[in-house]
Amino acid sequence: MTTQLPPGLQIEKVDEKIMTLNVGPQHPGSGHMRLIVKVDGDYIVSCDPDPGYVHRGEEKMAEHRNYITNIPHLERPVIHDSCNILYPYCLGVEELLGLEVPERAKYIRVIAAELNRCVYTQYWLAIYGIFLGHSTMFMWPAGDRELLIDALEKMTGARVTHAYFVPGGIRNDVPANFEEMCLRRVNYFEKRIKEYADIFYDNPILISRTEGSGVLSRNDAIRLGTTGSTLRASGVDFDVRTKEPYDVYDELDIKTNVLKAGDSYARSKIPWLDMLESCNIIRQALQKMPKSGSVRVKLKPNPKGGNDEVYKRVESGRGALGCYIVSRSKPEPYRLKMSVGSFRNLICLPYLLKGEKLGNMPAVYWSLNYWPVEADR
Amino acid sequence: MGTATGIIKALNSGIKHLAVKRFTLRYPEQKLKLIGDGYQYDPTSGVGIAGYKGRHMLFHDKCTGCQLCAIACEGVAEAIAMVKVQEDWKQNKKAIMPQIDYGKCVFCGLCVDACPFYALYMTNDYELSSFTKEGLIYTPAQLQVKPEVQQDAEIVFDKRGATHG
Amino acid sequence: MSALAPKFRFSYFIKSILDNLFWIIILLTLTGIPLVMILLFYLELPVIGGKLLDPYLAFTTLADPSRQIPLLKSLLQTEFFRIAVFPGFGFAALIAAGTIFVERKMLAKLQLRVGPFYCGKVEGILQLMSDGIKLLSKEIIIPAKADKPIFWAAPVLFVATAAAFIALIPAAGGGWVVADVDVGLIAVFAVIGFFPVITVLSSWSANSKFPFIGGIRALHQMVSFEIPLILSGLGVVILTGTLNLTEIVESQDPYWWIIFLPIGAIVFFIAMLAELERIPFDLPEAESEIVAGWLTEFSGMMYGLVQLGSYLKLYAFAALFVVLFLGGWSGPQIWPPFPEEIITEGIQMGPINAQFPGLPLLDQQMLNDVLWFVVKVVGVIFFILLPRGVFPRVRIDLLLHIGWYKLIGLAFVNIFIALGLLYAGVLGPEGIL
Repeated sequence: MTTQLPPGLQIEKVDEKIMTLNVGPQHPGSGHMRLIVKVDGDYIVSCDPDPGYVHRGEEKMAEHRNYITNIPHLERPVIHDSCNILYPYCLGVEELLGLEVPERAKYIRVIAAELNRCVYTQYWLAIYGIFLGHSTMFMWPAGDRELLIDALEKMTGARVTHAYFVPGGIRNDVPANFEEMCLRRVNYFEKRIKEYADIFYDNPILISRTEGSGVLSRNDAIRLGTTGSTLRASGVDFDVRTKEPYDVYDELDIKTNVLKAGDSYARSKIPWLDMLESCNIIRQALQKMPKSGSVRVKLKPNPKGGNDEVYKRVESGRGALGCYIVSRSKPEPYRLKMSVGSFRNLICLPYLLKGEKLGNMPAVYWSLNYWPVEADR
Repeated sequence: MGTATGIIKALNSGIKHLAVKRFTLRYPEQKLKLIGDGYQYDPTSGVGIAGYKGRHMLFHDKCTGCQLCAIACEGVAEAIAMVKVQEDWKQNKKAIMPQIDYGKCVFCGLCVDACPFYALYMTNDYELSSFTKEGLIYTPAQLQVKPEVQQDAEIVFDKRGATHG
Repeated sequence: MSALAPKFRFSYFIKSILDNLFWIIILLTLTGIPLVMILLFYLELPVIGGKLLDPYLAFTTLADPSRQIPLLKSLLQTEFFRIAVFPGFGFAALIAAGTIFVERKMLAKLQLRVGPFYCGKVEGILQLMSDGIKLLSKEIIIPAKADKPIFWAAPVLFVATAAAFIALIPAAGGGWVVADVDVGLIAVFAVIGFFPVITVLSSWSANSKFPFIGGIRALHQMVSFEIPLILSGLGVVILTGTLNLTEIVESQDPYWWIIFLPIGAIVFFIAMLAELERIPFDLPEAESEIVAGWLTEFSGMMYGLVQLGSYLKLYAFAALFVVLFLGGWSGPQIWPPFPEEIITEGIQMGPINAQFPGLPLLDQQMLNDVLWFVVKVVGVIFFILLPRGVFPRVRIDLLLHIGWYKLIGLAFVNIFIALGLLYAGVLGPEGIL
């Protein structure tokens, strides 16, 4: 029985009209991923994404580390959004071990998760700007996220890869004047990102380049199983924070941003609107946070879960991020699987790029909010 | 004329930003001021104290050579090894202390969480480069030294923008 | 410790001295003889005190200031001065170098960052010089199957065409232009039409995929935007009735053409951005899609020459815009008049009374013209540099759509406005204004 070779390795007859381009890992217009694009003149005939260049076997390595030493390990797929990656893992382990997280820790977790979401989205927006040739849109987000990275550094002790969440709470309490400092930074940050509207989102050249390209209809979005901002840009109102709330999200007032167009322009606008919403969430959480209290539950050394399995889901910057843990009464998890938003959104790429112009390819590809390292784990 | 107003608004925004202050931190003339005195952990309460996770500092008069930091690091980066020291301490009968290899350390701070004797802290020092790989391995005597850091630049907000100053 | 220095042998030492002597003599004769011929045959040597200038007299004037002024004045009248220094290459290269530096700093300020700041004590002023020295010292790599004569010639042709363009543009009143041609505007468009040819030659001869794509895109872009450029210039020609650039400026005496033909000015400006390959029209050099476009295979000083040609072209286009629409060098008289006492009585320096017959070197009107010209050109260059920080890049089909539909339509509207103003008797030869 012949096995089907992957698209890049199949032997095919050379067509005179169609040219195969390898928008490969060493190209200024792609991440750490290869796209095998077949073009006919200026129109794309087919596109096969070829991920896997940064696969390290994170899930297999997690089986050899116990629940606490897994923390610096599992946050590496997305280094600036590390709190959101650890969130479902910590929630899952807390359920396995039967731990009750204190109230103050829950609020601080929400603040850290929202700050991380803003930091990640700014980085994504910076690269989106440079793919379209807009160098100012690279410098402004990259500079403005310094404000929030500074706030995160005061809180957790590291600028990226914070290793801040542990099962049972968080590792250290915030410093003394944290609330006032964080509030000032978040207010200034919100003022800065509102300036992006004039120069980027209302820019007629951007609108004529991205509007109407790569349209994902509502039915297609649900059928293909997309998640995150891609789903919300096609008219589906689904956000894990409001539909399946965890920690204290059910006590905060969150508005979900939904756009109906489904094209690249809508997909590039939703994360920006989400960032504005995150600023509101941070302000509410800072206000409602209990002023004192413990932030961590003391664990016994080498905690073991029972014969159990648990699945928890969280909304990260890229979409729903879920973690499925199977434990067999040992200090290490028996199996750990992470289902990430980037990999699930990748399925749209062959459908969206068929028939598009070659000039639209970077705009559509990056607007899916795809982070190559996380998709490969 | 939607496009014309869009273009003029964008150019206007560009010209307005010529008057906003520059945000750059001019490293190495200016260095960022980091919070606190370094990451520390309080074993009695079980909670850490907020601080920057930089180079470690070992207190020789508290370390008992229990190897808990090396065991904690085994699952993460295997950067701590215990070596024999020539010092004579009452609480350290085996006379072994941790030696940290900064070529492998990921600065997660789990070793600080593991120490029950208030002996291992982290400091604000992050400029640890060296010309050789062996130079990155810090012996217990090197870890004893408190680093000299001159960090004083913070983000300052004013009417015309934010700067590092 | 002296592992790097070879052992000393006397014969090698003598051989190296003789080698150096040989090369010095060859270079001196190869450059010295043409230099002497230029001096003798092309420069019109002045007559000072009844004697034609010779080296002894030249050195005498260094000691005697009263004979220096006539020497300088006569040098200012030569053709060589016009080509090399004032409205020609030196002036343009100085403005081009200033433009590159100001562009980097201005974009950096707009993007809230610093830009060059280590070179030179004051905010990176010497950055351009260090970039130039770096480019001079790099190895020039030619791809294996490239077409060598054309590949070597392409950057030089580019700078030569840009210099030819500069030669046609007047910078001050009274005939300060290198080539005073009666059909000046058409000569300008003829030279501009040569640029796409050079771009395609350089990209084709490099024999590589990315320059090929960049060259094709550059050809499409430049050719399709030449038409709106010419049509918008046509509006000005209809109203002035002449093609000579100096006369076009003189006809804008109280009112500039931009007041009557604003649409034409905007069309000319957008077409100018496309001809210069500036953002938002920099598809031939799109950095994130095709590495560096048609410049990919140039390295070292060839890249330096191409950049110089690009910025010379930028100055020339900005100067053309100023000449056609913004009134060239006209402006109120703000240059202070030369104090007369220095000529009639000389300067009293203690017991010595120094006389300076022949001052002032240039007259007040000309300096005023130059001042206004430079101010206006700098203003136009600011508006050319600004879109780089504000707009993303357009796609190729939108670019062609803009060039062939929208701009030509607007240019025709502009021509109808110009004809209307002419036949209504408002402007033109028998007009009111």
